[in-house]
Amino acid sequence: MEFDAIVVGSGITGGWAAKELTEAGLKVLMIERGREIRHQQDYVTETKAPWEMPFRGEGDAELYARDYPVQMLNRHFNEYTEGHFVNDAQNPYVTPGGKDFTWFRSYQLGGRSLTWGRQTYRWSDYDFDANRRDGFGTDWPIRYGDIAPWYDKVEDFIGVSGAAEGLAQLPDGRFQPPMALNAVEQHTREAIRQRWPERCLTIGRTANLTQEKEGRSKCQHRSICARGCSFGAYFSTQSSTLPAAQKTGRLTVVTDAVVEAVEHDPVTGRATGVRYLDVKARTRRTVTARLVFLNAGAFNSVHILLNSGIANSSGVLGTHIMDHANTLSAMALMPGFEDRTSFGNRPTGVIVARYRNMEMMDGAGHTRGFSFQGGALQSTWTAGKREAGIGGDYKAKLRSPGMWRMVLVGFAECLPRATNRLTLDRGRKDASGLPVLNIDFEFGKEERAALAQAKADAGEMLTAAGGKVIMGFDRPGAGGTAIHEMGGARMGHDPRTSVLNKWSQAHDVPNLFVTDGAQMSSSACQNPSLTYMALTARACDAAVSMLREGKL
Amino acid sequence: MAEAGGKGWNRRDFVGGAALLALALGIPAAAVKLSRLDPHEAPGPRQIELLREVSQLVIPRTDTPGAGDVGAGEFVALALAHGLEGSRARVNVHKFPELAAWRRSDHSLDHVAWLEHELERRGGMAFLALDGPARAAALGALDADAYAEGVREHPWRTVKGLILTGYYTSQAGGSQELRFELVPGRWDPDLPLKPGDRAWSSDWTAVDFG
Repeated sequence: MEFDAIVVGSGITGGWAAKELTEAGLKVLMIERGREIRHQQDYVTETKAPWEMPFRGEGDAELYARDYPVQMLNRHFNEYTEGHFVNDAQNPYVTPGGKDFTWFRSYQLGGRSLTWGRQTYRWSDYDFDANRRDGFGTDWPIRYGDIAPWYDKVEDFIGVSGAAEGLAQLPDGRFQPPMALNAVEQHTREAIRQRWPERCLTIGRTANLTQEKEGRSKCQHRSICARGCSFGAYFSTQSSTLPAAQKTGRLTVVTDAVVEAVEHDPVTGRATGVRYLDVKARTRRTVTARLVFLNAGAFNSVHILLNSGIANSSGVLGTHIMDHANTLSAMALMPGFEDRTSFGNRPTGVIVARYRNMEMMDGAGHTRGFSFQGGALQSTWTAGKREAGIGGDYKAKLRSPGMWRMVLVGFAECLPRATNRLTLDRGRKDASGLPVLNIDFEFGKEERAALAQAKADAGEMLTAAGGKVIMGFDRPGAGGTAIHEMGGARMGHDPRTSVLNKWSQAHDVPNLFVTDGAQMSSSACQNPSLTYMALTARACDAAVSMLREGKL
Repeated sequence: MAEAGGKGWNRRDFVGGAALLALALGIPAAAVKLSRLDPHEAPGPRQIELLREVSQLVIPRTDTPGAGDVGAGEFVALALAHGLEGSRARVNVHKFPELAAWRRSDHSLDHVAWLEHELERRGGMAFLALDGPARAAALGALDADAYAEGVREHPWRTVKGLILTGYYTSQAGGSQELRFELVPGRWDPDLPLKPGDRAWSSDWTAVDFG
C-alpha cells in the first residue's frame, strides 16, 4: 500500500502531524512503537479508589526498583498510571559515568500526550532571539511572528484555559476561561506585584477544558489526568487529534511497530519510507511514502536518524540536547489562611513568568530566563508521617486540613551545548536489536547560576507574601527531570551547522521533516509542547504546499 | 490454611510465600507474586497480631473505625515485604549499629522483629502480654524517641507511615474518617473552613506533597 506520508510516533506532535496531513488530503500511515490504548475503553484504572488497588495507589516499590527505576521518579507515575510508562529494564539506554539522565518515556498509542503535565505556553521573541543575542547555540531561523498564527490554530483546537496578562515574555493565547487562584495564591500574586510590578504570578495555562468543545467535556477537577480521561477534558492524541485524523478516512494506524530507520535513496537524496520491526510478528517490514515525518519524541527521532545514517552532513546531529534545569526553589508555610480552604482538584498550578534578562541583562551569572511553577496547598493525612503522636488526639488532628504551604519550583533555561549529545552505543543492543542510545548530558554553570538566583528570588517573594520559608534548593535535578528533553536535530539557517531548516525540514533530505522536540535550537524556560505542536502544524502546511507545487 | 481466616497464617503451612501471604492478608495474589520475601522472613501470626494492635493504637476506633479494624496491620506486612516507604533499603550499620541484629538476608531491616523487640524493651515484657495502658505507654515512648529533636530517620517513622497509608487509603479511613470525592466536578477556589471540617483523602496534590 502506498502512502503519501508516514508519521513516526503518535504522541503530542505525531497526532498533530496525522491530523494536519490527513485533513490536507494526504493518505497517512501513523506508526506507533507501543500498544494500542483506546480512548475511554482502555483507561483501566481511571475510576479506581485507593482501596481497590493492591498497593493502595502507591504501587509495588519492589517491582518499581527492579523494572521502573527511572520512570518511578516521575511526578505522575504511580500504581494507577504505571501502565502508561515504559518498563526501564526492557528499554535500556546508557549514560556516561557520573552523568545521570532520567529519561521519562511512554511507549503507547498517544505516547506522552496521555501523561504530560499539560502546561501550555507560547514562546516569545526573547526566546527565539536568545541564541543570536548572547551567542550560545545557533540562531533560530524563525521569530514569534512566524509561529504566532500557528499558536492560534493549535490553541483553538486543543483548548487551553488561562488568564491573559499582556506580558511580552509570555504572550497571551486564545484562552478558555482561567481556573481561579486559591486564596493563598491570590494573596501572593498581589503581594509580589506590589513589591515587584514586573513579576507576574498567574494561573498555569493548561490544556484542560473549562468549556466543552467538539464532543469533549469540560474538566471535572479530579486531577488524575495521567490515568487517562474518559471525559476527554485534557488534550491527548486520543481525545483530540486522533479522532480528527480518523474522521478524514485517510489515516492508517499501526501499533507495536518500532521504526528502526528512515529508508533513503542515495541517488535522489530522498527518503523513500521507513523500516520497522513488527514487534508481535517479530518480522521486519518496509513501507514507502512521499513524505516522512519523525515525531518519535526528541531523543527517539534522533536515534532513528543516527541509525539511518542520514541528515547529518553538518555533523551536529545528536548535539546540543537540552532539558530545563529545575528544582524546588522555595517552600514556605503561609500563615493567616487557617479559616480558608478549597474544593475540587485543580489540574494546574500557578506560574511566575520570567522577569530576568529581558530589557536589562540582570541575571547573576546567566544570560537566559527562569520562571517558577508551583502553587499553594493544604496538607492532609500524609503530613502525619512527619509528626509525633499516636492515639485519639493524633487521629483528630489529622482529620482536618493542615497548614497552607506554598511552593515555587524554578525552571531555568538550558544553554545549547555541543558537548551535551546523543550517540549510538554500538556495543549494546535493545530488544529490537538496535544499538541503544547514549545520553551524555550535564547542566553547566549558567543553569546553576540561574537556579541560585531563582532560589534567592523565590524565598524573597514568599517572604514578602508573609510566608515562612522552610526549605529551598539551588542544585538542578538530573537531566531529564523536567521532562522537557529537546534538541539534537536543531533548526538553523545554515546546512553546515544545523540539521533542519525553518520549516522543520531536513537540509539534506527534502522530504523528511522532524517536528518534535528534536528540532529545538534553544530551550526557553517555558514548557515546550505547545511550540512543538505549532511548529508541527506549520511544517505540515509547508510540506503539503511543497508537495503540491512539485518541489518534493 | 485453616487458620488463614483467623489470625493470619500458620508458618508451617508456608509454601510458595506469595500465594499464602496473599491469602493471609486478603489481597489478590497478583499483588505479591513478585516479592523477594524469603518464606523464613515472613511475619508469623503473632507478628501480624502485633501490627494490628499497634495500628489500632496509632489510629484508634472513635466514631469511625481504627487502623487495626480496617486491616492496616496486614497492609503494613505487605508493604514491608515490598519495600514501600523505603523499607527495603540497606541498613546503615555504621550509623545505626543497634539495628544490625535485625537485618534481613538482603541487609534491609526486619521492621516487624525490630518493632517487637523495641516494644518489649520499653514495656518490660512481650507487647501482646501487656495491658492496654502499658501498650500505649510503650508505643508512646517509642514514638517520642522516633520524633525527638534532631532525629531524622527512624524505623518507627517508616512503620507509622505505612500504618497511616494503610488506614487513610482504606475505604473507612479515606471516605468516613476523611472525605473522598473522585469526581468533584467543579473547582471552588476559596471557601470558609469551619472547625470540624474534614480533609479530603482525594486531594491528590495534598497527599503527594502535603
